[in-house]
Amino acid sequence: MIEVHELSKSFGKIKAVQSVSFSAANGQITGLLGPNGAGKSTTLRMLYTLIKPDSGFARIDGFDITESPINVQRHIGVLSDAQGLYPRLTARENIRYFGRLHDLNGLELEQRIEGLLAVLDMQSIADRKTEGFSTGEQLKVAIARALVHDPKNVLLDEPTNGLDVKSTRAMRQLIYKLREQGKCILLTSHIMQEVAALCDHIVIISNGLVSAQGSPNELLLRTGKNNLEDAFIEVIGSEEGLQ
Amino acid sequence: MNKIWIICQKEVVDSMRDYRSWSTGLFWAIFGPLMIGGILLMVGSSFREDVEKPLNLPVQNSQNAPGLIQFLQGNNVIVLPAPADPAAAVRQGDVDVVLIIPKEYRENFPLSETATVELVLDSSRQSASVNITRIENLLDGYSKYIGSLRLVARGVSPQVIEVVAIRQVDVATPQSRANLLVSFLPYFIIFAIFNGASPIILDTTAGERERRSLEPLLINPLPRRTFVLGKLLAAFPFSLASLGITLIGFGIVFNVLPVEKFLGTRIELNGKTLISIFLICLPIIFFASAIQMLVASFSRSTKEAGTYLPFIALVPSLPGLALAFFPVKATLWTMLIPTFGQQILINQFMRLEPISALNAVVSSVMTILVSAIITLAAVKLYEREQIVIGKG
Repeated sequence: MIEVHELSKSFGKIKAVQSVSFSAANGQITGLLGPNGAGKSTTLRMLYTLIKPDSGFARIDGFDITESPINVQRHIGVLSDAQGLYPRLTARENIRYFGRLHDLNGLELEQRIEGLLAVLDMQSIADRKTEGFSTGEQLKVAIARALVHDPKNVLLDEPTNGLDVKSTRAMRQLIYKLREQGKCILLTSHIMQEVAALCDHIVIISNGLVSAQGSPNELLLRTGKNNLEDAFIEVIGSEEGLQ
Repeated sequence: MNKIWIICQKEVVDSMRDYRSWSTGLFWAIFGPLMIGGILLMVGSSFREDVEKPLNLPVQNSQNAPGLIQFLQGNNVIVLPAPADPAAAVRQGDVDVVLIIPKEYRENFPLSETATVELVLDSSRQSASVNITRIENLLDGYSKYIGSLRLVARGVSPQVIEVVAIRQVDVATPQSRANLLVSFLPYFIIFAIFNGASPIILDTTAGERERRSLEPLLINPLPRRTFVLGKLLAAFPFSLASLGITLIGFGIVFNVLPVEKFLGTRIELNGKTLISIFLICLPIIFFASAIQMLVASFSRSTKEAGTYLPFIALVPSLPGLALAFFPVKATLWTMLIPTFGQQILINQFMRLEPISALNAVVSSVMTILVSAIITLAAVKLYEREQIVIGKG
């Protein structure tokens, strides 16, 4: 459960995020949609506590992001924009490292890793060093290490960016699976079709502001359009930066 | 504490697999011993120039001064014919020094007027200095000898012109001749400690940022100091190994090479001395890792950090170079400066001088204290959100 209340963040003169409010419920996929540079990643970075808001607050499972960042980090799994791996470690070692940093160890940890390797269909690359992995393979390792501690809230920054069709489908299947497990999923995307296809709740951000939010149906009703694509463009006011 | 260990362990395993970078660090560890050993072999023998060996002296126009030539030959000098172009021969190093006796000598000498001889020499040639001094002393001796005889012939006591007699009391032991060489040792030891740590520091800080793995790492539920301490600790074994290898290298050089023959004495680098040096250097491992960590974390890329670190390694080594030329006494204030105090102490250990326990303690405590403050600064740097955003 993620609650965001009037979060704002500026970098110098640039107002990256202005008074953004929304909430993301458990068992739902919430999508932050907006053109590049709209403030989606900044919002997410504030939620995973790497940058501090100038004003407003947000809570994840009741923990405030500024007051108890460590507790927040315990309850989230994050696929950030930066997905760098350790090229001299194997895929399994990369995942294990993050598991150990989340207090997991021994048999419990190994079973978690084994489970994730199976779900992500990556047993064949598990014991290879990640140097030279394809984009899709790298993403699998990055997602596995983000989920190794079985977080209740999953934050994904542009999860299908740069993936081919097959990997995109696999990623979507995984996101649905996480929803079935009752997790709260918050993802960002600048791809309208993706958000339209995946999300139960859509928050549209442009120029650091929330321009509209609601379920796909609600958005259609509000804009009087008969497809989501037209609804998005109506809300944002232009097609710039969207796909 | 447990988490610091997990991070340290991962970084050590990761770095061990980076064969290229740690082997570069190792190269620096053996560089010092190789260098000093090389210098010993090359110039060591020139220190030990035997004064009693006959000296070859090319003389031009020796027929102009038969008395002088006889005097020289009586003092273990072999007079040789001079090369055609004495200046060129000296400049090229074919001969150390050439004596030229001008025609005027023949005229001036019998008239008891000052007769001039010329010495062609190259004062910048270190290896020739022993021979040059020897010839100068001989010529001076001849001059005084003849002068005295002339005074006596005129009924004047030679003591009239000898206003002050200089009697040199040379306290230089053969060992202190080796001091110059020995003074370079601490420089290489400190250098090895820094260079052992730097590839690991570089990879775990600037490298982590460049690989874009820092952001995911920092999302793990740990205070920033845990990351900093884990990474810092990971550099210790590499730095420690580098220190150990350098010391063993120096031990081998000074115990296997005939140092005694080259320098007229032994330099004490026995097991006990080496262990003392090792122990006194341990706090520098902390210092070298911490200061390099701070600088590398501040840099925007591995490349940028890679240009700073060798410089950082050089700065604390500078006092060591200075020590080679301006020996500093082991006063308490010198012990307050990390790496400087240790260099003085290393020098003392090797010279078997008595070590003040207070100096050793102050030097160690101060180095640890300064390193702790630097580490704290690195933690503060990691707590800033700029570390993630990537703006310095």
